[in-house]
Amino acid sequence: MRWIKLAKMMLISTMTLSVMAACSNQVKESEGTPAKSSTEDAKTNTAPPEPLGKYPETVTVTQVLGYNPPEDPRTPQGITPEQNAYFKDLKDMLNIEVQYKWTVPSSQFEQKFSLAMASADLPDIMELDQKNFEKLKKQGMLADLTQAYNDYASPALKKYMESDGGFAMKTFTSEGKLLAIPGFEDPFLSTQLLWIRKDWLDNLNLQPPQTMDELEQVARAFVQQDPDQNGKNDTYGIAMQKNLFFWGFDLRGFFNGFGAYPSIGDNQSAWIKDDSGKLVPGLIQPEVKTALGKLQSWYKEGILDKEFALKDENKSVEDITAGKVGISYGEWWYPNWPLNLNVDKDPKAEWIALQIPGLDGPGKSMVPKIRSNKLVVVNKKMKNPEAAIKMINFYIEVGNKKYMDQNKAEKGYVYNWFVPRIYNPAQIDTIYTEVNKALDANQSEITLDDENYKNVADVFKATKDYLAGNTADASKGVNWGQYFSRAAKDGGWGTTRQIKESQAYVNNEFYGLPTATQVEKGSQLDKLMQETFTKIVMGASLDEFDKFVQSWKSLGGDQITQEVNDWYGQQSAK
Amino acid sequence: MRTLKKEYLLHLMLLPGVIVTLIYAYGPMAGLVMAFQQFEPLAGFFHSDFVGFDNFRYVFELPDFKQVLWNTIVISVFKMILFLLVPLILALLLNEVTRRWFSRFIQSAIFLPFFLSWTVLGGVIIELFSLNGPVNGLLGSLDMEPIMFMLDNHWFRGIIIGSDVWKGMGYNMIVMLAAITGIHATLYEAAEVDGAGRWKQMIHITLPGMAPILILLGVLSLGGILNAGFEQILIMYNPTVYEGADIIDTFVYRLGMFSQQFGPAAAVGFFKSVISLALVAVTYYAAYKYNNYRIF
Repeated sequence: MRWIKLAKMMLISTMTLSVMAACSNQVKESEGTPAKSSTEDAKTNTAPPEPLGKYPETVTVTQVLGYNPPEDPRTPQGITPEQNAYFKDLKDMLNIEVQYKWTVPSSQFEQKFSLAMASADLPDIMELDQKNFEKLKKQGMLADLTQAYNDYASPALKKYMESDGGFAMKTFTSEGKLLAIPGFEDPFLSTQLLWIRKDWLDNLNLQPPQTMDELEQVARAFVQQDPDQNGKNDTYGIAMQKNLFFWGFDLRGFFNGFGAYPSIGDNQSAWIKDDSGKLVPGLIQPEVKTALGKLQSWYKEGILDKEFALKDENKSVEDITAGKVGISYGEWWYPNWPLNLNVDKDPKAEWIALQIPGLDGPGKSMVPKIRSNKLVVVNKKMKNPEAAIKMINFYIEVGNKKYMDQNKAEKGYVYNWFVPRIYNPAQIDTIYTEVNKALDANQSEITLDDENYKNVADVFKATKDYLAGNTADASKGVNWGQYFSRAAKDGGWGTTRQIKESQAYVNNEFYGLPTATQVEKGSQLDKLMQETFTKIVMGASLDEFDKFVQSWKSLGGDQITQEVNDWYGQQSAK
Repeated sequence: MRTLKKEYLLHLMLLPGVIVTLIYAYGPMAGLVMAFQQFEPLAGFFHSDFVGFDNFRYVFELPDFKQVLWNTIVISVFKMILFLLVPLILALLLNEVTRRWFSRFIQSAIFLPFFLSWTVLGGVIIELFSLNGPVNGLLGSLDMEPIMFMLDNHWFRGIIIGSDVWKGMGYNMIVMLAAITGIHATLYEAAEVDGAGRWKQMIHITLPGMAPILILLGVLSLGGILNAGFEQILIMYNPTVYEGADIIDTFVYRLGMFSQQFGPAAAVGFFKSVISLALVAVTYYAAYKYNNYRIF
């Protein structure tokens, strides 16, 4: 008994270490396989290179996956990522078999992937964010894709990659080696809009807000005047959650309205040009303090959720769906999720998109220079790096019209589980233009015939169904979501296009990879920011902000600023 | 030597346990080398650069470290004391309950939350203490102002400590009840003959009889002074209460998992182990010296 206890105690006290110690065993293998033999293999295997050539012998590729539920409600119940119908076609068409090393819900992905990196137990083909890309690059873990890309990239893929003049590809090329196929998209997809319940505005006889003051009046009315007319005091003003700068239901757009540009979301800080032409961190500018002051007074007044600091994005989504809140800052895709859920729940609900309110008149949203958070990379150990390129070709290819009868959600095709996916960078704009063209010409079908067909046709059908009130294939909310996010002229992308044309935006000037100090000190600075900002909103003295600026600078911020400006100098020299 | 020969079969039975301990408890200690390296996972232990005590210096100089260390000690000392005190009182009270079915029922009810994971319980507690939760409902019906328990540094620590003690107290209580059962009945009979009532019996027989197990539990828990309950806090905390509830483990978690600074993270782990070892050694020696108590 005593022995066991003692042993147990020792076990526990060394547990932390044992996790970390499991790390080193797999190092040797990676050094053993020279990268060269792999391309030779590939050549003897299939010659000449064909973008969609079938391997004579099955090639097995390992992957990992962080997955969300299938987006399409028509997907068969209980399907698992392993059963994704794309894999069957992949096997038939290219003789490639995918094996998952592990799959986890996407909320756990970052953590799980960190562990995999720590133990050097990585799959063949991966999708990375920039931070992890930088780490694996530093460790020499990534295969050179130059030749595989040149030999195997399909014309469509090449067209996409060259659509920005090869800018994104150059960013991920190191010493002449292409280390990633960047899944970049139109940066304007990141534009912040203000989503607001039009039916609530109408109920209270209010106009869509254009300035901060008007927004304040509307938000106050949404709290106090029972906008949903259910006789209960159960609504609050503006959706907010514990992460002030995130990918949705956050406050980037609110800060932008004050001319403050602290972040481009996902807790990445933003950089703007000052008068002297240098880059300065948006996070520590005085405008941020003003915005925080406003949030503080709103919090006090009850316009914001009293317990926002306990809520994550899922709670915000619940509140939006349940009709507790009628204002949220976010990107073009909101109608497709989660506003559609609210529309299905409450038939009266009507959402509109507005350019963000500013101090005097509509404000300017922040837009990054490149939007590419998905980098397809190949493990150096992999024998067939070109398989990754072929898989990308495959995903683009099955968007063509001839696959339409087969490639349907109800047949088990779950597109958001298939990796690697590289989209047409102009996909959303293509959909918008093509669908509107077909609508204006009163067509009953899409005439376009290339790899964009499926995407365009899907939205076109949803639009037609929504406008005709047809809910045979999908609910009103689902159809409306497709239509209002992608096709409507005053919808998500439509409004974003207007902002783009009127140049009502500010660029994030830093688009390099995270600098050394950012990687090292980032999470600490982030903690400091979250703690300080949350406290200020909840009532701490505004002067805390000045203290924060001092600490931020001395804890590595100054160094990061230096590194970012060094990068900027090199960039303008190029 | 003679006893070894006689009891070799018994010792042989120990072997699997010893081997498992060696592999899983002592083997990984080799990983401590990471604390002295600029550790790169792909380079591994053999090819990472040695940096001496740089990782330790780095961690100790981080502005948060003092706060985090202090939080850890405060939370864990409170937990340690309460984990002895509360189960002790419960065990003594239960021992006085004469109806067996009733005492069994209470025992099980107290023990039950021990088996639930913090992942589940954390969410329950956040809901319980939220602004619209039942606790604030109760305060409201007593005409008191609602309190944001989970967002207030004064309350949050208390909730962390209280809920952990509530969840885990059943375990020590059972151990203590077992110790009470182990006290010879003749002692109580003799006391009764001498005219001692229930109270005097408890003070003079039950408590001294339990002393060894109390000391054992105390000594064992001291080793964990720098473990303030990682899982629980990770699930329940938020940026507003970092000030009072960010502990070493959550700090290392962010350092290792999100910044991937494995060297510094291992250094903190090493630091924790050294402190724990020293504390266990000291208390064990003290218990031996003043109470003539030995584990072996």
